[in-house]
Amino acid sequence: MKLFPCFSLAVALATPAAMQAQPSFTAAPPPATVVQDAGLRREQYFNRIDEAINWRNSRVKLADPATLDMAAIASKLVRHEDIDACSARVIELMKDPGTGPFWMFPVVCVAYTGRDLLSPEARAAIRHAWRTTMQIRGDTENHWAMYYTSLYLMAELYPDEPAETWYTGKSSAENLAESRAYLISWMDLMTTVGQGEFNPTGYITEYAIPMLFLASWAKDPAMRQRGHMTLDWLFADLAENTLHGVLRGPNARTTDIPVMERWNDHASFYSWLLFGNTPPTASYGGFGLYFAVAARNYEVPEVIYRIAMDREGDYVQRDLKRSRRRWRFSDVVFSPVYKTSYMRRDYAVGSYQGGAADPIQTHVWDVTWAVPDPRGVHNAMFSNHPYSSPDQLQGWFPTYPELMIPNLSAEGKPSYDEPDKILGASPYEQVFQDLDTVVALYDIPPGIRYPQINGFFSKDLADFSVDKSGWIFARGGRAYLAYRPLAPYTLTPYRGYLQLPSNEGYKWERVPTGDTLLQSPHLKNGTIVQAASEDEFKDFAAFKAAIIALPLTFSLEPNPTVKLKTLRGRDVVVTYGQAPVVDGQPLDYTKWKLFEGPYLNAEKGSRKLTITHGRLERVLDFNTLSITDSVLP
Amino acid sequence: MIKPLLAFFLPALLATAAPAAAGYDLYVSAAVNKGYVIGSKIVTMNGLFRQTGQGEWQHLGHNDTSIRSVAIDPRDRRVIYLAANNGCWRSLDGGATWRITTDWTLTEPLQVTLDPGAPDHVYLAVPDGIVVSHDRGQTWHRRETGLPDRGKYTQTIQVDRTQVGRVLAGCESGIYLTDDGAMTWRRVLATDTTVDDLQQSPHDPQTWLAVTQSNGAWSSHDGGRSWQQLAGVPSRKPLYCVVFDPTHPQRVAIGGWAEGVLTSEDGGKTWVTRNAGLPDRHRVKRLAVEPGSGRLYASVTGEGLFGSEDFGRTWKHDGFESSDITSFVFLPAPAK
Repeated sequence: MKLFPCFSLAVALATPAAMQAQPSFTAAPPPATVVQDAGLRREQYFNRIDEAINWRNSRVKLADPATLDMAAIASKLVRHEDIDACSARVIELMKDPGTGPFWMFPVVCVAYTGRDLLSPEARAAIRHAWRTTMQIRGDTENHWAMYYTSLYLMAELYPDEPAETWYTGKSSAENLAESRAYLISWMDLMTTVGQGEFNPTGYITEYAIPMLFLASWAKDPAMRQRGHMTLDWLFADLAENTLHGVLRGPNARTTDIPVMERWNDHASFYSWLLFGNTPPTASYGGFGLYFAVAARNYEVPEVIYRIAMDREGDYVQRDLKRSRRRWRFSDVVFSPVYKTSYMRRDYAVGSYQGGAADPIQTHVWDVTWAVPDPRGVHNAMFSNHPYSSPDQLQGWFPTYPELMIPNLSAEGKPSYDEPDKILGASPYEQVFQDLDTVVALYDIPPGIRYPQINGFFSKDLADFSVDKSGWIFARGGRAYLAYRPLAPYTLTPYRGYLQLPSNEGYKWERVPTGDTLLQSPHLKNGTIVQAASEDEFKDFAAFKAAIIALPLTFSLEPNPTVKLKTLRGRDVVVTYGQAPVVDGQPLDYTKWKLFEGPYLNAEKGSRKLTITHGRLERVLDFNTLSITDSVLP
Repeated sequence: MIKPLLAFFLPALLATAAPAAAGYDLYVSAAVNKGYVIGSKIVTMNGLFRQTGQGEWQHLGHNDTSIRSVAIDPRDRRVIYLAANNGCWRSLDGGATWRITTDWTLTEPLQVTLDPGAPDHVYLAVPDGIVVSHDRGQTWHRRETGLPDRGKYTQTIQVDRTQVGRVLAGCESGIYLTDDGAMTWRRVLATDTTVDDLQQSPHDPQTWLAVTQSNGAWSSHDGGRSWQQLAGVPSRKPLYCVVFDPTHPQRVAIGGWAEGVLTSEDGGKTWVTRNAGLPDRHRVKRLAVEPGSGRLYASVTGEGLFGSEDFGRTWKHDGFESSDITSFVFLPAPAK
């Protein structure tokens, strides 16, 4: 994640004193009870907004200008506090502006929250920076969402101004038209063939903030509505994919820490703020402050709130997503991603069908379990092929491939070229999921870098044992877990990534985490995982016996093939390179809808999402830019 | 927006820069890429530089780390085009003001080039094809008939100086040629990896050289219609750039990631590695030859600019410490 400002902020604030000032971060986890009263729900939401802003404001010492950064200025402005100091500081900060979307959206936040408060000189300083300083657009969808929303809003704030007054060399009208066209195009893509950076643990903030700004401040009611609807869309997706507020896999993009500590990324800040069902991450998600500043302009609808909170019934949700854009060496620009989530009260199983949604940061599948307090808990089990390839990278980035790998560590992606990495997708992995059974098969050609399979076993597993049948058993929270490697392996301590303070790019130290890494150096390989709730069995031994008794045959030559009866009684045949067969019927992914499940439903290409919980229904129709709420009979 | 050199940084960066030979001005695009990522603060001066006088560099335009290519109108040096992350920048006043001439539908162009015979015609190599402007970048049009639907990632594009509208493009799937201003393309060399650079000989317009990511180096002696692989050049190593010596018809040089600098002084028949004086990690991104003196320049990735007075036999550091030079343009110095 390219988040230098966030990174420096996090380092600066990661002190014991700072932690003490973040009540919900340090307090016991919030209760998982549904707040039925809408007024109380709103009050609690506003209280959480206030908590974040209070904390940020408490960090400011007016005598020390360094404490008054853009987030602090926005937090002060929204409270109408210390306006003169804010104005003076804006003038100072605008003398040395940054560049790119991570600079743009904070300035937009300050420009709008301060448009009637900041001094004319301060506002002029902001305007001047947008004339003189080139803003780099970036190269990812989240960059562009931030960049074009920021440019759009600034062009609306300063309409009818000539080309020479903008760094783009384009007039306000031209900037507005281009930004609007891109944002609509991006929304079209998301609502027809699926979200690109889907289910992101961290990057959710890079979408949520600009969409909130659009919903809050766009003058054009159509764009304001689009912002609002996109927020609903994103948060419905978040709600559906969380268990007790913690986002579950798979993820188009995540990073080395949240891939094992599933709570520890910005998505948890949004669950906390919107649903109140998990603690926020440190510093309220860093950039999350910018969301908090404008958050009173948006309230998550009740139907989404209830989807996030209700885990009484099991459900399967199938979604259609898409990969990041591929520039070369691919037959398609975006490859379709067929994603499955199976959510139960005690655990979640999620996957997509394999391959790379993103070349570096994808997490393809996992079983995760619920815990009373998710902080510090590595509640995930999965395997992957640690694929690293300059040739693959050049397909996604318009640059010489040799330049990329050496720079990735400094860009915040330290594990990409490490053989023991647990992050990332491989073109030689194919994944099948049916309810709480996952079969991941690997067929790695000779000569591929890092010809091995890695499996992740958390330090937080209980009763870990290797059975003579070949199954590995463990308990995670109230979930019983069974993991079957299909080829010989070794178990070694896993070393994670500790981020070190640095002013020159990211720096890391490899440190033991207490977790265990399975490493299997066999090119034809596979993993089977099955899970169950402890409520379903008399005891753990009964679960083990049930798993061992299940019919299972497999072979690795010529292609990995697994034939098994799952714990749920399904007859499954999975062969690498072929469509999986369930109860005699081959899976046809091409028939998948954009969303299909008890809560979210949308047809591919429809631009229309129906969100349902109980009798509540909200329809987001991007064709008509309408939001329709209904109470079903 | 012509800016003076940054008082505290650029002099150290550029202090050793040697002047271009009398008669030519040198423009380069440079990125000081130590730890810069999207979202970080740019603490160095990047972008377009012009060398004037006794080796002094003047920064023009925005502080942009992403410029990959520069083109300047031979009729009017105030008209400058840049290919950068945001698209194609254009200045009509020598760098005082700039405009992004493209919109969101075109991103991260890899090269911009002008038709020497019709400098209003601008060609842009983009990751998803080729776009053309016939009005100095006011409007852009995709011109991809004959290119494959997928496989048209275009790294480099060069115009035949002897014929308006005759253009060669280096793509991920080979070299493509148009004789009609990009209205139609045909493949003249198939590759399974990206063609990284194409150059036309300044001595014989029928002679072209091309280098590829891992398919070796190629020459053409019929204006790009047919191609022959160059023996003596590694065929599986990344080769980023190729250059002719305008002062010597038999001299050519190739630069690449692992090989550093390879030179030939017999028109490409035999090749010699020339890395003495370059950093150990001689990952050569760009080469250029000064038209008046034959001075060979090498941009070494992350190491800066190097110069050689003896066509690569010896090298000296020539400024832009820790930088990447991504493009060189020599223009005849204006008459005094």
